[in-house]
Order: sequence, then C-alpha cells, then structure tokens
Amino acid sequence: MELDFFSGAFFASWLAASVRLAGPLLLVALGELYSERSGVLNIGIEGTMLLGAIASYLVAWQSGSTWFGLMGGILIGCIAGTYLSWMYITVQASQVVVGIIFNIFALGVASYVYRLALRGVSGPQTVEMFKPIAIPFLSEIPFIGPVLFNHTILLYATAGLVAVAGYVLFRTKFGLNLRAVGENPAAAETAGIRVSHMRYMCVIISGAAAGASGAYLVLAQIGQFRDTIVAGQGFIALAIVIFGRWSPYKAALAALIFGAADALQLSIQLFQIDLPPQLFLSLPYVLTILAMSGLVGKANQPEALMVPYRKE
Amino acid sequence: MSSPYLSAQKIVKRFPGVIANNQVDFTVNRGEIHALLGENGAGKSTLMQILYGMYQMDSGKISIEGKQRHIHTSKDAIKAGIGMVHQEFMLVRRFSVVENIVLGMDSDGITGNLTRARERIRDLSKTHGLHVDPDQVIEHLPVGAQQRVEILKLLFREAQLLILDEPTAVLTPQETAALFQVLRHLAEQGHAIVIVTHKLHEIMSVSDRVTIMRDGCVVSALETRNSSENQLAKLMVGRDVSLRVTRSVRPRGKPILKISDLHVTDDRNQKAVTGIDITLHAGEVLGLAGVDGNGQSELAQALLNLRAIQSGQVKMADVDLTHRSPAEHHRNRLAYVPADRRHVGALMGLSIARNVILGSHGKYASQFGLLDEKKINRFAKELVRRFDVRPSDVDYMAGKLSGGNLQKILLGREIMRDPLAYVIEQPTRGLDVGAVEAVWREILSERDAGKAILLISAELEEILNLSDRIAVIYEGRIMGIVEAGDASIEKIGLMMAGVLPDSEAPEIRR
Repeated sequence: MELDFFSGAFFASWLAASVRLAGPLLLVALGELYSERSGVLNIGIEGTMLLGAIASYLVAWQSGSTWFGLMGGILIGCIAGTYLSWMYITVQASQVVVGIIFNIFALGVASYVYRLALRGVSGPQTVEMFKPIAIPFLSEIPFIGPVLFNHTILLYATAGLVAVAGYVLFRTKFGLNLRAVGENPAAAETAGIRVSHMRYMCVIISGAAAGASGAYLVLAQIGQFRDTIVAGQGFIALAIVIFGRWSPYKAALAALIFGAADALQLSIQLFQIDLPPQLFLSLPYVLTILAMSGLVGKANQPEALMVPYRKE
Repeated sequence: MSSPYLSAQKIVKRFPGVIANNQVDFTVNRGEIHALLGENGAGKSTLMQILYGMYQMDSGKISIEGKQRHIHTSKDAIKAGIGMVHQEFMLVRRFSVVENIVLGMDSDGITGNLTRARERIRDLSKTHGLHVDPDQVIEHLPVGAQQRVEILKLLFREAQLLILDEPTAVLTPQETAALFQVLRHLAEQGHAIVIVTHKLHEIMSVSDRVTIMRDGCVVSALETRNSSENQLAKLMVGRDVSLRVTRSVRPRGKPILKISDLHVTDDRNQKAVTGIDITLHAGEVLGLAGVDGNGQSELAQALLNLRAIQSGQVKMADVDLTHRSPAEHHRNRLAYVPADRRHVGALMGLSIARNVILGSHGKYASQFGLLDEKKINRFAKELVRRFDVRPSDVDYMAGKLSGGNLQKILLGREIMRDPLAYVIEQPTRGLDVGAVEAVWREILSERDAGKAILLISAELEEILNLSDRIAVIYEGRIMGIVEAGDASIEKIGLMMAGVLPDSEAPEIRR
C-alpha cells in the first residue's frame, strides 16, 4: 500500500483508532480507580471483563438487542464485583491471590460457556453492534472531527464518566469519605464512615465498569466473542491507573497513550517496515510492566491500598 | 449534685480468656475533668472504646442525661454527643485540616462546600485557643497541632463529652500545660471531659474526679482534692509502691561508645538524625530525652546498623562498627533492647527457651548444626530464675507473656551476654508498676557494674530517675547534654520543644 507514514491521512486515522481503542481501557480503569481509591486493588477486573464480554455476547445474540447485551455485561460485572469484594473485604483474603485465581476461573468459565452456546450452530455468530454517531458540525471539523467526534455512544459515555469520576472523587462529600477510607481506614471509621460498606460499593463499581468494558469490546469493536478478546486489557487498566496517578483525567491521558500504542502496532503492519510486528504488539505490555514495577513512581498511591481493614 | 452527663452501669465485656470489664460503673458530669486511671490491661481503654461504639458490650447500660442510649458504632456515639481523641491520631495525613474535620459528616449536602466549615473552624479555634490553619495539610503539622485538630474535630461535631486517650504521651511538658488549659476552659463551658492516663502527677494537676480501674473492675472513684499521689498509686497497683530508686553517685569511667556526626534518614527518606555526637562512658546512664518521633528510634536502629547510616561513625572501644552487621555489634559487646518488644525484640511464636538464645544460638549447637536442647534448657532456666520471669516454664510461648515478663527476658538475654554497652529503647513502655521497678533495678545494677548505657525514653520521669547525664533530642539534633544534678523538668521540657537553655552554654560536643 502506498501510504506515506507521515501523511495527514495516516495520522488522522491512527489517532481515531487510538481514541477508539482507548475507550474500553479507560472505562475499566475508571472503575478500578474507585476501587483503588478506597484501598482495594481489584486485579479481578481482567476476568470480570471477560465474563462481561461473554454475557453481553450471549444476551445480544439471543435478544438481538445491543442495549440488552450491554446491560447483561454490567449485571455480570456487578455479580463478579460482589463476589470479589466479599473475598477481599469480609474474608480478607490476599487481594493479589484472589484476583489472579478469579481471572483464571473466569477464563475457564467464559470459554466453556461459549463452546456450550455454539453447539449446534454453524460457525461463530456475529451480533449487532453500536454504530458510530457523527456529532453534527463537530464531526465535520477537518482532522479533529473524525478523530474525536465520530464514535459510538459508549465512547462518549466513557468520556462523560471521566468528568463524573473527577467530580465525585474530588468535589463531593462521598468522594472525600471514599478517599479517606483508602488513605486511613481507621480514621475514616472513627469519623463515622462505614469502611467495609464503602469498599464493597467501590469494588462493585469497578466490577460493573469491567463488565461494561467487556461488553464494549464485543458490542462496539468486533461483534463476536473470542477467548482472547480481553487479552490482558484488564491488566493494562491497572497500569493506566498507576500512570494516571490515581486521577481520572490523567488516567484518560494514559489510556490514550496505551490506545495509541495499540493502534500503532495495527497500522504499522500496513507498512513495509523492517521490524517484526511482535515488537509493536508487545508495546502496551512493556509499558504495563514498567508501570507495575514501580519505575513510574507512586506519588499519589492511596496509603492503605491492599491493606485489609478489620474493625476492632 | 446534679445528675451525671453520662452514666455507664454494670458494663461487662469479655474477650476470649479474659473479662476486660467486669460490672463497671462509671459516671462523668458536665463541667468536670475526669481522670480514668489504671495500669495497662486494667480495662480503661476497653471501657472507652465501648462508650465510643468501637466495641460492643456484653451487658450493661449506658445513659446520657438520664436517657438510655444504644451505641453500636462510632456514628451512634457521635450522635449521642460523645467524641474521642485516640492515642494514635485518627487523621488522614494527606488531607487538609478542614477536610479531616468535616470527614464523615452528613450535613452540608453532597457537594461538600468547605467555605462555611472553614469559617466555623476559625471561630472555634479562636474561642477555645486551639490555633490551627484550616487549609494546612496534616502531614506538615507538628504533633501538638495535630492534637488540636483532633479536638476541633470533636467540637465541630458538637461533642459534649470529650474522651482523650493518653493525650500527653506525645507532648512536651509545656505543650501539656497548654492542653490542660484548653481542657479546663472547655470544662468551664459545660463540656464533660475524660482523660485516660497512667500519669499520677497529671491527674493531680488537672482533674476534678478520678476513677481507678484494676483488673477490669472499678476499685474506686473519688474527688481528686481528697486524694494523694500515693493513695492513687496504691489503688491502681493494689499494694504499696515506691517508685523511687536510689542511684549512687559514681565517677564516670572511660569512653566506650563513640557516635560522631551521625546522619540517618527515616522510612520516608526524610532526614531523621542530623549530625549527632555522643560519647557514652563506662558506668553511666546517659538518658536521651525527647518527644516521640524526633529521631530517637532512627538513632537507635542506626547504632546497631538496622537502618542504613548516611554518614558519620559509630565506634565501640576503638573498633569502627559503622557499616558492620548487627552480629558484629554483638561480638563487640554492644547490646540492644528495642522499643518494639513484640515485633523486633522477640519471636512471638517461639518458646522462651528459643528466644533467650536468639543471637547466640551458635553457642548452643553441635558441630553438625544441631541444637543442644539440654544446654539451651539449662541456660533458659537460669535466666528465668535470675530475672524472675513468670511463668517459669521455659517452653511457654513468648507471645503469651505479659509485657513486663517479656521485657525481663529481652533485658536478661542481653545482660547474660555480658556486654560493655547497651542501647535501651523505651524499656518500660506499657509495663505495670511492679515491672517498671524490676527493669529500673536491672538497668541501675548494670550501670553499677561499670556498663555504659544509652537510655532512650519518652518518659521524662524515667530519664530523670535513672540518668547520670541527660541529652535532649529535638528534630534529629542534640539540643544539649545536662548533668543530672542540674536538670529540671522545666529545663528539659524547653529543650524538648527546641528551645536552647539560655542561662549556660550547652555542652554539645564532647
């Protein structure tokens, strides 16, 4: 293909793809932000995304409605979040171990259910997807229009949720209480805040967001289910939270960077560049490893992150 | 007398194996400062935590102004007008003063507009002499100011009953006096105030009434002015006590431990010790006084190389130990008794016998590395007998020992090793009076045997009772070193607050 690497057209399509791919990452990261700000590291979002994906796929397929599909994903996310918060908060099991085991469990369940559902059906079924909505006038602005204003409702909603999270976490009483629980649960409890309620709520929020994000992948990106549909995007979201310094706006920026890295490896395969595509494929994961290894710095990390709280 | 503000009747609280509160009656009136006195484990904290909704009582009745109230959570307590300042402050470090104060409150809608709260805090702090800037972040405030924030937090919630758990533990004598003035003023305005403490002189100077607890029961409740320190001590301990030790005057020996220009950082990589010079001589107790958190623990850890030394030197009888392993410190006869007995000093899951050989276990093993149980038991039994550890069963788990008995083991373990110098940190923190006596006796007898002892303690009384010389640490620096004969509480207190004694030039470097 005779595309110039530095042409405006390439650039615009790359950026549009970046925004598109950043959507689900940002959605799950925003949920995780609530959970981590309340002091719980919910690694289970990876598996929850997968469960959300399979649930939304099956519901959308059977009902023929994308909206029902989305709701199915959110519902299963809430259920997963409830189970995980029970393990994290009431049982007080190690958050890392529970999260990892849950992810393995989710992988097994999702692929089993998928195979069960496909019995007697010829080949994978494609479901109806959310259509891009071009925003009048704005989408006609050259360059910026196609990059920012021609996306599905899910992306616009996710962008809105960034502002919601920023407002809730930093401008409301509820947000103040929530952050206090993540910083010093004992102090929060003595101030009359119910630490375990708050944490349950936040983990369930992160579950709902992860379920929705899984549905996002199915209903706005590929229209099918695959075992590898999530492929570590939940883990990448954990990295996004760290890169974003536990702030929703910075997390949005971080999600865009990961989205851009992902989009780059897709587009780069169109060019005859003498580098193995696997190198680019691994880019988001390399960034994730960097984030998790603490090289990025943990300036705003909640002090009680991963510290269980037991009321005396 | 009018009816009490709060009255707790026949409170019973059981924990597995112990009755923490046994039919406890407790009343407090508006307008009074009420002291709750008792040794560690007497049940006073349990009682206060029940009043504040952190524990549930098994039976009993709590009424406020004559009406029975059920308190199941802190929120219930706050609603009932009860507020508590915990010994460890319940503040979110990274929040501002005003954010900490409004935390958890339902009023003001969801948006949490802080302007009105700020104004009210300014008003409250002006009325009650609790000076603090509402927009400061907690982690930048000194401890005294943090305590003021805690009190403001209660006043903001319109608490009528203020409970303060060991409020003076982290204050200098001058800060303590200022706090008492605030409390007195609050009492005059009709608040009811409870201070939980074990410091008798504070009770005498500030309280109107005192309730004394022992072994989970209230032994007496009386008017402070009708009692005396001796009487209170006797009621608290249950027998006659004399916390006066006799310390013979003896000449200082030759220098043993030399610390020069030591610099150490804390866990957050902030400077904790900035250029300390101390020379410790044979046959002396050098007391290191200071408010907790001024670099004492970092200094102690650095001396044993349990914390990295940035620069400077630690020399033990001319051997440079600065960057050597703790084992080498032992070999060069420097002993350490840490402040945290349960986590640093001992292995709680192991027996007494195993704990007493820690650090010298090489001596109790055969050439194939197998432990010689007979030899260990013989040694452990000797130690237990000599230091009167109870129970005397050497297979007893260390984790089940009382603080006093555990401390006897830690101290005994080091003494049996016959060191030349000791670093002893908070040796009597949380111990009951009987155990304090025993520990003090051992420290002084080691001194009389010509050992050099660096005694790090936040209890000024302990420092004044045991030391030959007193060094005062403030923000990681030594403010001065004073001979015991020239020391007074006022003088040391000022130095603890960072004020240099003006009358004479401090004897800093020697």
